[in-house]
Amino acid sequence: MVQSTSARKSLQTTLEVPTLRKAYYARTQEDSKKGKKVAWCSNNIPSEILDAMDVTAVFLENYATVIASKRLASGFCAAGEKVGFSQDVCGYARMLMGYILARDESPEAPYGGLAKPDFLLVNSYSCDSRLGWFAAMSRALNIPLHVHDAPHQPDGASDSTLNAEYTERELRNLVAFLEKQTGTSFDPEKLRQRLALARQSSDIMYDINQLRKAVPCPMGSADMFTAVWPAMYLVGTQECEDFYKRLQAEIEERIAQGIGIVPEEKFRLMWSGIPFWYDMSLINYVEQYGGVVAVESFYRSRERRLPPQDEDPIRDMALSSVRQRAYPSSIIASIDDLLDAVKEHKIDGVILSFNPSCRMLYVSQMELQKSLEERGIPTLGLECDMADERTYSESQVKTRLDAFVERLLAARA
Amino acid sequence: MLVAGIDVGARNVSAMILKDGDMLSCYVLTSGEEGATVSRRAVQEALKKTDFDFADLQYIVATGCGRNSVPFAHRQSTEVVSQARGAFHLYPSARTVINLGAESSRAIRLGENGRVEAFTKNDKCAAGSGLFLETMSTLLEVPIEQMGELSLKADGFEEVSSICAVFAESEVISHIHRGVPKGHILAGLHRAVAGRILEMLGTTGIKGDVVVTGGVARNAAIIKELEKKTRLSTIVPPEPQIVGALGAALIAQDRAAKS
Amino acid sequence: MIEEFGQYRPSRHEKAIAWKEETGGKVVGVICCCVPEEIIHAAGMLPVRILGEHEETTEADIHFPTNLCPYCKSCFDQQLKGRYDYLDGLVIPNVCNMIKAMYGFSKLLLKVPYVRFLEVPQRLSREGVDFFTRELARFKESLEDFAGKPISAEALRQSIDVYNENRTLLEKVYELRKKSPPPVSGTEAQETVISSMLMPKEEHNRLLNQLLEQVEQRNDSPGDGIRLFVSASILDDTDFLELIEECGGMVVADDMPMGSRYFYGLVDSSDDPLRALADRYLNKIACPRKMLPEERLAFAAEIMNGANVRGTIIHNMRACDPHLYEYPLMRQRMESQGIPVLFFRGEETETEKEQQRADIEAFIEMLEE
Repeated sequence: MVQSTSARKSLQTTLEVPTLRKAYYARTQEDSKKGKKVAWCSNNIPSEILDAMDVTAVFLENYATVIASKRLASGFCAAGEKVGFSQDVCGYARMLMGYILARDESPEAPYGGLAKPDFLLVNSYSCDSRLGWFAAMSRALNIPLHVHDAPHQPDGASDSTLNAEYTERELRNLVAFLEKQTGTSFDPEKLRQRLALARQSSDIMYDINQLRKAVPCPMGSADMFTAVWPAMYLVGTQECEDFYKRLQAEIEERIAQGIGIVPEEKFRLMWSGIPFWYDMSLINYVEQYGGVVAVESFYRSRERRLPPQDEDPIRDMALSSVRQRAYPSSIIASIDDLLDAVKEHKIDGVILSFNPSCRMLYVSQMELQKSLEERGIPTLGLECDMADERTYSESQVKTRLDAFVERLLAARA
Repeated sequence: MLVAGIDVGARNVSAMILKDGDMLSCYVLTSGEEGATVSRRAVQEALKKTDFDFADLQYIVATGCGRNSVPFAHRQSTEVVSQARGAFHLYPSARTVINLGAESSRAIRLGENGRVEAFTKNDKCAAGSGLFLETMSTLLEVPIEQMGELSLKADGFEEVSSICAVFAESEVISHIHRGVPKGHILAGLHRAVAGRILEMLGTTGIKGDVVVTGGVARNAAIIKELEKKTRLSTIVPPEPQIVGALGAALIAQDRAAKS
Repeated sequence: MIEEFGQYRPSRHEKAIAWKEETGGKVVGVICCCVPEEIIHAAGMLPVRILGEHEETTEADIHFPTNLCPYCKSCFDQQLKGRYDYLDGLVIPNVCNMIKAMYGFSKLLLKVPYVRFLEVPQRLSREGVDFFTRELARFKESLEDFAGKPISAEALRQSIDVYNENRTLLEKVYELRKKSPPPVSGTEAQETVISSMLMPKEEHNRLLNQLLEQVEQRNDSPGDGIRLFVSASILDDTDFLELIEECGGMVVADDMPMGSRYFYGLVDSSDDPLRALADRYLNKIACPRKMLPEERLAFAAEIMNGANVRGTIIHNMRACDPHLYEYPLMRQRMESQGIPVLFFRGEETETEKEQQRADIEAFIEMLEE
């Protein structure tokens, strides 16, 4: 009864990702067996530092998307709810708590489960849900938890030395924690190398996103939701840079040949928010009408990275993160960002996903939708959890997409 | 000492008469009239089977959602406490009581001495309630007493996936139109209902022995599904609808003895 | 005279406007008790806690989707409806997702002259105090700009003293509740805290001193009830506690932002004022957003100590992840100590109250057995 839930990809390079991902998870298991320290991390924990210190990073939110894409989330979520975690809380967290505390009640875990952790690293500055979640895991698994912090900077990039000093201090705390756990010393040179590679990949990613503005769109969100994976989880590696070089070359070739996602591109959409991991084929749905989802808000690369801000790599990381922000951190910045994307990528309509259990993004979606409609840009809001497939009504969503497409085509006529 | 317990539910009113702590007589009738009138009638009907009159009753406790509309009751007791009391009296090994009423259901955890330790209630969602099953009975044109049996006989089930009763109803209608056998639909429905009931248990937890009370407990298919999902066997009293009234009567007994 | 405390909430807007007219001063709204009010007070301004109302959030619903903190939504709704038009400033701290978002939304949709984001560290620590101290210095400077005059160290010390006195007095009121029967009900105790957040602290201290002198002679004592502990994520009025006390309970101890969490923990007046404020406001506020579970449980245990509690009611507002994560552990701990727990996930709907009443009645009857 469950069909394939993957999106149809347009690029060959994208198809490499599942293999890379599987290999990554296998590697973490091997690392664990070899006696390397394994850290379970929340997204945005600087894995370049962990990598430089030979600590294996396992990013739980990614594993949650893997579970969700196999439509196993509801089983894990139900298990998590059984041990007391409300349906309100982040779907990713509930799933992982189900996986940890109610293994018997849960489905079989993908990739044979996660490598056993030695400690937990969480940053809760972007998402308040993570601290409670990681604290609960720390107790359940009886392993140490280190909380990493950074300033919020809702007004965006800043030249504040205070913010930079605090960020630097927190990074050094993280290093000190890792030194203690591993019994080894931090080598700045190793980090410097990884930061250099990360910058290079990041710049290629920026160029890729510029290329995506072409008409017809050479690479849309159906590909990018998968193709972004190395940038998030293989940061600072040669493997990552090589992947994006190949991706860029493929896109350039497609542009040269005028190859788009559909034979005749009739309209271009943007996806705002997290996609529904249990049905990524939804991203391809509008293709039958000549539409493409050309770009997404969440993983879009916005700026070329600043050059190294200091010789000391930790100070460099701190200054860079204060002086340049990867994501808009207030509604005002988010609105500007969205409108900018719509203009740059020649977008005709926006689909906004309203994921109730990801309040970090959810809180802004209505105002973003309103801002677009006020400017005559058609929108469609879809309310489903990003991971828990119990909240998804396929026929309902597709009916609404049909109506949205009708509206778009009528507007263009 | 003669006491009475009355359970004024959304659908039925039960009255239980105790004489010196023993069950003397009980009566269940379907309510439809105003609370005070129907409660009095239930008690009177129960008394008809005995040698006693209304005036002989020394203490009356009312429970159920309509407990505040029984003016002649000496005291009110909440469903949680009266259900627990009644179930524990019948089965001292009871550690979980699942009460499935017409409109609401509750799960109650008991301690070794029968004291309530925790409870959760579901009165927001219709799925799993007696009234919901009555709606399904009408829709499927199967008398409610036969729903369980028909379902147990079925050799398969058609999934009813909706969490919400309203959506479940439309799902069932579409199954009927597609010609799915009634037994299959009922089997799927009962699975879903049992699932909803268990979700409600939440952090109350479930420990054996499990006693299931209330009118819906008569549905053998739902009971079977509960047992399958919890991997525990359940006890269903021969008269699951009178447990609340029994508990209320026992509380009346305690109160009468104290005064 | 205890009823006087209950008047402040319903008349808070009129009173704030009157204060402005009398003094010519500025009123600054705060959301969340981790904003060091003393700095605002030392600037000669009146800090007031923003509160919601039991109304349909018709204005806020245009801008926000449904599954969000009802308290924050209601507060913003009140602001959109113009009830808080007299505010000169808003200070929004770095706490949970919802409150953080309020900063941008306030700048976008409201016309408050001064809107400031406070970079509070997201974890309790000693190092965080260094950063927070300097952030408070920045905050102080920005307030000085807004006020058009400096805030002296002396003024700051005085404000700390006034606030510490308020904390000490509120703690005394709370201590009274440990008696059996308590001379002050849970509802009344909460009213003393909420009113503190709405008026000049000096005046509130005067009222509290009066109360403490007179309370044990009152002839309208709240009487006995089943002794309960309430742990809540956010209750910005006394409705819930009133409901519990209507059903025969007596709330003798609490763990909530508009309760013990507001005043617990003094500012160290021997230290540098900004540093002392940074330490108290970062490390002593028992909020699960930042405080880890073990410390939270220790806080709850301390509050309950000597209160002779028979049962605990936990009220977590929907969509409040930090509290909802903590709940299973809090429940487990209570039950392991033989204290039964009743849990509510608050939704602020119209029908909620009657459902809560039925559960509370059952809980109280169960405890009476």
